[in-house]
Amino acid sequence: MNLANEINDLQMAQTRRHFLRDASRVGIGTAALATLLNSSSAQAKSTPSLAANNGRGYGPGLPGRPHFSPTAKRVIYLCQSGAPSQIDTFDYKPSLDRLEGIDLPASVRMGQRVTGMTSGQKSFPVAKSFAKFGQRGASGQWISDLLPHHHKIADDICIVRSMYTEAINHDPAITFFQTGNQQPGRPSLGAWASYGLGCEASDLPAYVVLLDKNTDHQAQPVYSRLWGAGFLPSNHQGVKLRASGDPVLYLQDPTGTDLLHKRQFLDHLAELNAARADVVGDPEINTRIKAYEMAYRMQMSVPDLTDLSDEPQSTFDLYGPDAKVPGTHAANCLLARRLAERGVRFVQIYHRGWDHHSNLPQRHPGIAKEVDQGSSALVLDLKRRGLLEDTLVVWGGEFGRTVYRQGGNATTYGRDHHPRCFSIWLAGGGIKPGHSYGETDDWCYNIVDRETRGVHVHDLNATILHLLGFHHEQLTYRFQGRDFRLTDVHGRVVKPILASA
Amino acid sequence: MKPTLLALLFVAVQQSAVLGIEPVRFNRDVRPILSDRCFLCHGTDIQESGLRLDHRDSAAVKGFEAGDADGSELIKRVTSLDADLAMPPARSHKPRLTPQEVDILRQWIDQGAEYEEHWAFLAPESHPLPPTNGSKWTASEIDHFVLAKLVQNGLTTADDADKRTLIRRVTLDLTGLPPTPSEVEAFVADRSAIAYEKVVDRLLASPRFGEHRARFWLDVARYADTNGYQYDLEREQWVWRDWVIHAFNSNMPYDRFTTLQIAGDLLPDATAEARLATGFQRNHPITIEGGVIDEEYRTEYVMDRVATTSTAWLGLTFQCARCHDHKFDPLTQRDFYSMFAFFNNVPEKGLNGFDPKEKIASPLADQRIGQLNQALAQVDRDLESKIFGVPEQEFESWEQQLAELQGSWQQVRATSLSTENETTLRQLDDDSISASGKNPDQETYKIAFRTGDAAIRGLRIEVLTDSLLAGGSVGRAPNGNFVLSEVVLSEVAADQLKPIKIASAEADYQQQGFPAEAVFDGETATGGWAVDGNQRALPSTLIITLDNPIAKQTDVVVTLLHNFGTSHAMGRFRLSTIGPHRPLPLEVLQLRELSRNGNNVEAQREYRRAVASRFGNRTIKGLFAQRDNLLSQLASVNRDIPATLVMKELAKPRQTFVLERGEYDKPIKDQPVSPDVPSVLGVWPDDAPRNRLGLAIWITDQRNPLMARVTVNRFWAQLFGRGLVSTPEDFGSQGAYPSHPDLLAWLAVEFVDSGWDVKQLFKTIVMSRTYRQSSVVSPDMIASDPDNRLLTRGPRFRLDAEAIRDSALAASGLLDDRIGGPSLFPYHPHGLWQEINNRPGFSRVYPHSIAADQLYRRSMYTFWKRTVVPPSLATFDAPEREYCVVSRSRTNTPLQAFVLLHDPQFVEAARKLAKRMLVEGGDSLDSQIAYGFQLSVARSPNVREADTLRAAFNQSHGDFQNDTTSAHKLLSVGESPRDESLDIATHAAMTNVARLILNLSEFVTKD
Repeated sequence: MNLANEINDLQMAQTRRHFLRDASRVGIGTAALATLLNSSSAQAKSTPSLAANNGRGYGPGLPGRPHFSPTAKRVIYLCQSGAPSQIDTFDYKPSLDRLEGIDLPASVRMGQRVTGMTSGQKSFPVAKSFAKFGQRGASGQWISDLLPHHHKIADDICIVRSMYTEAINHDPAITFFQTGNQQPGRPSLGAWASYGLGCEASDLPAYVVLLDKNTDHQAQPVYSRLWGAGFLPSNHQGVKLRASGDPVLYLQDPTGTDLLHKRQFLDHLAELNAARADVVGDPEINTRIKAYEMAYRMQMSVPDLTDLSDEPQSTFDLYGPDAKVPGTHAANCLLARRLAERGVRFVQIYHRGWDHHSNLPQRHPGIAKEVDQGSSALVLDLKRRGLLEDTLVVWGGEFGRTVYRQGGNATTYGRDHHPRCFSIWLAGGGIKPGHSYGETDDWCYNIVDRETRGVHVHDLNATILHLLGFHHEQLTYRFQGRDFRLTDVHGRVVKPILASA
Repeated sequence: MKPTLLALLFVAVQQSAVLGIEPVRFNRDVRPILSDRCFLCHGTDIQESGLRLDHRDSAAVKGFEAGDADGSELIKRVTSLDADLAMPPARSHKPRLTPQEVDILRQWIDQGAEYEEHWAFLAPESHPLPPTNGSKWTASEIDHFVLAKLVQNGLTTADDADKRTLIRRVTLDLTGLPPTPSEVEAFVADRSAIAYEKVVDRLLASPRFGEHRARFWLDVARYADTNGYQYDLEREQWVWRDWVIHAFNSNMPYDRFTTLQIAGDLLPDATAEARLATGFQRNHPITIEGGVIDEEYRTEYVMDRVATTSTAWLGLTFQCARCHDHKFDPLTQRDFYSMFAFFNNVPEKGLNGFDPKEKIASPLADQRIGQLNQALAQVDRDLESKIFGVPEQEFESWEQQLAELQGSWQQVRATSLSTENETTLRQLDDDSISASGKNPDQETYKIAFRTGDAAIRGLRIEVLTDSLLAGGSVGRAPNGNFVLSEVVLSEVAADQLKPIKIASAEADYQQQGFPAEAVFDGETATGGWAVDGNQRALPSTLIITLDNPIAKQTDVVVTLLHNFGTSHAMGRFRLSTIGPHRPLPLEVLQLRELSRNGNNVEAQREYRRAVASRFGNRTIKGLFAQRDNLLSQLASVNRDIPATLVMKELAKPRQTFVLERGEYDKPIKDQPVSPDVPSVLGVWPDDAPRNRLGLAIWITDQRNPLMARVTVNRFWAQLFGRGLVSTPEDFGSQGAYPSHPDLLAWLAVEFVDSGWDVKQLFKTIVMSRTYRQSSVVSPDMIASDPDNRLLTRGPRFRLDAEAIRDSALAASGLLDDRIGGPSLFPYHPHGLWQEINNRPGFSRVYPHSIAADQLYRRSMYTFWKRTVVPPSLATFDAPEREYCVVSRSRTNTPLQAFVLLHDPQFVEAARKLAKRMLVEGGDSLDSQIAYGFQLSVARSPNVREADTLRAAFNQSHGDFQNDTTSAHKLLSVGESPRDESLDIATHAAMTNVARLILNLSEFVTKD
């Protein structure tokens, strides 16, 4: 339903119930009014009315309106929690061959604070990558053999090798990436997208979260704040689509009531609620009737969404055998594509287990294998369906890993957390394909020309919002007297990685 | 229809000044505009081009000519079309002023451009009641303020709410629960003038009042049962929650409530309870993440205390001054760190900062002991009837299961025997193993054997007497005793020893202080199992149950450690194994032996109980689980009091510095600060100490302009759905101007003058005619007062998450209204905790329970995990509690429909409600349906509603008569037993009616 229709529908509903005598004065009623106010940036009220909360998200609301014509209509974010080592995946550093085993000089370290895990370590010997690198695709991007399926998407992705962050520990770092602040309290990236864009689908939420099943016994956890709404109305928080049990919490009727009886039940309920609305005149009751209708539609659409029997064999060839095992990365990537097709605005996938402080050369390949085919298949699949054009895919962890060894010997070593440089990739949705951006020094410790070519977390988030059609300085929400935004008072759009650049 | 046009119209509705009703006032009309569009660059923090607009003297120099709007630079700039001159400039990303806003500035300048100090920073003064021309409508002072405002705006009051609506409203508001039908009927029947006041007094005296008020405070206090951050492990802070409930129920004066939570530990007479109250300041998340830098997180905790204290009691966004001077309010960065200095003196750490803490008994302990004992007696009575009321063949079927499980013990023939020191072990013909030879101080025996053709799940150690041992007893110690320090089991796999986890150990006899469980507590140096062998020369048996079975044909090593010293080792013993089932508890076997003696009635009863507890039906098992819970709760009230995180003060305070950009590692060494409060908020009391106690004295001083206002505003919002100030978290310059400033001031002054009497304040508000108005909404009201800001009607809004679940429990009769105590684990979808974190040792599976006492208590006691908020509550906007929240979202979503439709708790409540309708609701379908309505929404259905519900019943009834399987399925959701005396199709059909009622918009709405 488009904007004009929805307004029309609302007006009709209001008129029918004689809620508004003077349509020219207040127009379409406070519910829709507040909705529209929300969509223009600075007008959000800090305590929106009940109806205003529904103006967005997957409630009976309106599709949102970005500030300018977007290149991405939706985002699929493949979060690599625990932090992959850039040295062993995307940042090819032949210079490390000659630096192997050398203690990292203080001149390179430049006073970088280290975590409590290596602060007691006496020396910081450089460990070159244990993986082999090669140039892949026509674009000749350097990608290691740890991610062989990624070789196929070298010409589709843009690798950013000059990411940096401020946090050095997991909880604050991943919270920073996902909410723009190291401490809890701010809305997540997906919640901002839901708030800004509203929902395209009439039977699914705007923002869906998929957790890959974790296999690493020392993995970092995730937390609901990473997909939370913070101070935004709470209907903007991500909705988990689960691999076991109810796909959406409480979706299934525990009594096994079939949909026919459910329909009868809901018809009776709507009649009862309408009877009450006629007596007390509360427009909120009509919103609730609509919410039950949407719940009914969701109950029908989710099984359809997760039922892969309509996928051709070519899908499983592409994503690999894991795609049939719920909760694997491949299965979730395939689900993400199906969600994108159905109008979901933001899909957040978490894969855990990259945090290898010991035995990294033995453990990194296992985790890499878990995600490699699924991640790359997603890009290829979106492309062949013409969806990559307006779907942004982001792949990366919360920081990088140190070039120097943590503990162990030449084979049992790990790598500690490293905030000063790491690699991520983006694809589709207006991103320049087959491109690399940014550079690290010979030690893979610092970014070369960080001031001009470094990409801070806020810069990445500003760029993602830009691709969705928002000025990141203007997508704001008033709370505690302040117009908050995802990028705080920072961030700049990384123009050189845009296809239009 | 363009948004901008709508925005203008919206403003027009909000701002009465524009409608020409009242003259322009600085605080109400002008300050919001200047603050929002101008102060960022011309305010406290920055004065671009030397212009400062937040003070009249400096503003007048460059900003305006009082009395001459057209000649004023301010007006020129805000109306300029020249991009170089226009204000606010495009680069600020601030919207231009609307024509209405410009008009306000013009009028204000023409009127003389008078400034007022920010209203909220001036101490409230009681204003004379506004005249209401002798209106008969007013019942209290509150009504004078409200009516005057309505008249001013050309609006009228609503009718009084009918009595049923009113008693439901006030009961939900004061207790968080709906009224019972008899309470409703008594009120309706009571024609006396004080009928309503009697209800109010009864509710204020109810212990439910304190629970409900505490529930709101838990959000403010960011109370949770876990530590937040990363692995989010558990803490036990519920004793503090008990303190809050007790404080509200005992009507503790609010200034004392405040002082104790800020500085109870610093009071000269700091009682245990006063120290307990300071848990408020320690409820913040605490990290255990290995790599963090200690000082960084310690600093964050202090930051949190400043933010939480400022928000909770001052309504200030003080945290905005962490990195720089506040952009809108006269609060400098130095002010922030002066406040920080009060909270910076706790002897705490950033990493694993769980000290200081203290074991303090709950103030509700006595009350709880009484309730727990009562509940225990009830459970025992229920058990008695269930266990001894079952038909004999059912009991026999339980015994049959016992027999099947029992299996038989296989004696172990060792493949090798060894010791670490020099004892000699020999296996005799009866398979017993005898120790001889050297008798070292300490000794470890190792017995290897191979499992047979079945997996094993249990190991038995029979300690045997031997005439060769001292006193013919069991041990090699000179006194005949032994102590088995530890039993370690390992499996030999690929030439490696793999440890096998022990699940439990029990013995038929154990010496005091040497229990069976000590053999697998991981503590090998001390403790252990002993049997008084020095005075009791009798054989004893220890039975160990394994966590998982050991496969057949597997090599196993049993290691028996004796580390007590003085040769306390076993002298002769025999090992046996059993499997694949768990070994039977010794107790049952012993009781069975005893019960076979026909005269031992007591043993027969005990035996029957023991069998029932293991093999009885689900109901019986649930009762036993409940019994265990009650016993452990009694134990926790009596002995195992958890240590609560509390505040303490360092003997020598830390020196606090201003932190550059708020960063923990950038103290500005030439900017030391000492504890102080912002000068704009009034003076420091002369005799107050410069510590948290002084701060509490300052906050609760009646001259403090904010504290009373902020508090009454929050209470008002709990009742009306929105505060008189609609931004309860911000009373600063950017906050909303009060809808009724004089009323807010009057309430604040009353509150202070009453001695901070919370119950009195609530009574004053709910007794007002304003509160008692009908909340029926008319089209006129939607047009003239869409958000009910002017109080043209009574409050109407969706209930909070906890009240919705509690209402369902109450209506269905499931509610267990015991007060206080540890947090509980009601129904919860499977797998939620593990799917976000499954790291061994750092994670836990949600402890699902079938015991009633975990399932049906009030929602405020639900275990609150910050990273996985109880999902059915979160769906109704409950916050994570990672930080202070003073107002929740109030959304209306399809996911909420799923909870009410499908959460087993609500389905179960529906079938219990249906049972009540059938059993208590009279004989006719109509009366039963009406009763369901009365239980849930305190009224009877109208004709249209009754017709629909009757049709729904009849349809379902037909369906269920043809499909009893579905009926059974519906009636078995949840742990509470079904009343089998009811016809199943009728009960199921009525359950569908009850589900409709519990899904009504009205059920989740206070109206």
